Amino acid sequence: MRVASVLAGLLGSLLFLFLVAPIAQLVATSGAEGGARLATDTELRRALWLTAGTATAATLLGVLGGTPIAFLMERWRFRGRAVVAAFLDLPLLIPHPVAGIALLLVLGRESVIGGAALELGLRIVGSPAGIVCAMLFVSAPLYISGAREAFARVNPRYEAVARTLGDHRWRVFRRVTLPLSGRGLVAASVVMWARAVSEFGAIVIITYNPKTASVLSYDRFTSFGLREALPVAAILTVLALLPLTALRALRYERRPDLGAGAAA
Amino acid sequence: MIEARGLTARAGAFRLVDISFTVPKAAYGVVIGPAGSGKTTLLETIAGINPQTGGVLRLDGRDVITIPPEQRGLGLVYQHGYLFPHLSVEANIAYGASDASEAKDIAIRLGAWDLRDRAVESLSGGERQMVALARALAHRPSILLLDEPFSALDPRRRETTRRELRRIHREWGLTMLQVTHDFTEAGLLGDVAILLDRGKVLQSGRPDEVFRKPASSYVAEFLGAENVFAGTAKLIQEDSAPAADGADGAVDARAHQAVEFRTGPLTIYAVASSVESPGYAVIRAEEVLLSLEPQVGSSARNHFAGRITEISTLGALTRVALDVEGAQLVAALTTRSAHELSLEVGMEAYASFKAMAVHLC
Repeated sequence: MRVASVLAGLLGSLLFLFLVAPIAQLVATSGAEGGARLATDTELRRALWLTAGTATAATLLGVLGGTPIAFLMERWRFRGRAVVAAFLDLPLLIPHPVAGIALLLVLGRESVIGGAALELGLRIVGSPAGIVCAMLFVSAPLYISGAREAFARVNPRYEAVARTLGDHRWRVFRRVTLPLSGRGLVAASVVMWARAVSEFGAIVIITYNPKTASVLSYDRFTSFGLREALPVAAILTVLALLPLTALRALRYERRPDLGAGAAA
Repeated sequence: MIEARGLTARAGAFRLVDISFTVPKAAYGVVIGPAGSGKTTLLETIAGINPQTGGVLRLDGRDVITIPPEQRGLGLVYQHGYLFPHLSVEANIAYGASDASEAKDIAIRLGAWDLRDRAVESLSGGERQMVALARALAHRPSILLLDEPFSALDPRRRETTRRELRRIHREWGLTMLQVTHDFTEAGLLGDVAILLDRGKVLQSGRPDEVFRKPASSYVAEFLGAENVFAGTAKLIQEDSAPAADGADGAVDARAHQAVEFRTGPLTIYAVASSVESPGYAVIRAEEVLLSLEPQVGSSARNHFAGRITEISTLGALTRVALDVEGAQLVAALTTRSAHELSLEVGMEAYASFKAMAVHLC
């Protein structure tokens, strides 16, 4: 028993070190230089602004579209629900360059949507709009999954009581469901934003220029070597790390019990 | 009024089948049934939370199959209260109220107003139930559905809340339907009792009728009748029938006939308008009189000598089991009577009950 505990502890520690060490090394060796570069490196600053802006736009779109999907998936029992759920998770599982290629087929200049958008003066491929699309495609499933979990934690009987108290569905959603699932929805959107910030594979296919921070990091590595790529990579890591740390702090705070036994 | 005719509904794999009953306007209905019998599903179906799949459901005369919960004019109080944890107690009470001062009055009447400054998370189960009740009433429903609303209240609070709710029910002319496990509560509160099991109504009617005249041996046993005997019954000819039970036994001779019911070594006399044989004879333990001497000159038609096999006391009530020629007969008496008789296991005792106390089903 004791040996098993020691072994489990050892294996866990080794994995933890394996996960943390590269990032810690990256931030420790190049974080300061990356910070300093922010003052002098215009391209880096522009890439970071572009990354943050497009990730925010993608997250907003993900929240607007993903929230109703997550709510319906959680509250509505229908045939083929498992299939729909699998399709929603699919973008998480396919290689991201493949996701970029698939998006290119749908949004490229030769496609119906891409062509129509061009007619309207909106270029998707090779523009910030393309970056937003790539980010949305690969990170929205994370938001939907988190939002579903947040809605699942709200016992439907709260909504039932609110309806018998005179509220129609939308009013119940606004007055009861949203406040009770709010923390989970915020957490899911933070995860989506962080994932969007770190996306590279799909973006590099659909929009190489203008460069997001991840593409800039890759570009500098291939053009100038590791030394030039490190500060950009370190800043990008910190950018993703900050909201995730805030998220964990949010999650470990005491949460109200929304389950059936709330009043037991 | 709540009127269900052949109502069917589904909640996951569970089904309510062919539910029919009526709770008249301003009446107090109680739903009794074991865990998993569909009591909460029935309330949720009436409320419109759980979809009705067939039959007719009328609330105050309206067919409500297409009417959403918020337009049914009813209130629903769950056993766990389901107070909104993101709102204060006061905001919970006022949630559906159109008049805040009226909501406050109701909360005061139910003793929930003193809790208004407390956080929902800090309330006990009983306090949550009181606030949930006040919240539902503050919406001024015409029908109130209650799912074991007093289960977490202490006995004193339960009594005062029950009394106040009864008063509000009468003042407002509310139609109520309450789920309970408590037979005493069902008897105390109910104008109509609905016995539910495995998604079906086994019996419905006035509580005293349901308790005294269960439709089946299963219903009898579920309702706590301890003397349920299987046997054969036959009508007795007028000239050989035992005499009537006496002046207090208001037997309609035209509707009721004397019946002899044989169960193992026992012959039990009963009165019934018709008999089914084989069938069951049900005698509630409260109807069985216990004595240490044979009853002489009694109007009761059924007398049995036996030996006490078990005495169990629960507060003011004592339950005594008697072995009568291998059959067990249970009598319920006050603990004081049991002490006065100095009953002990192994003693010989006599049980008697009137033919009218026997219900055949």
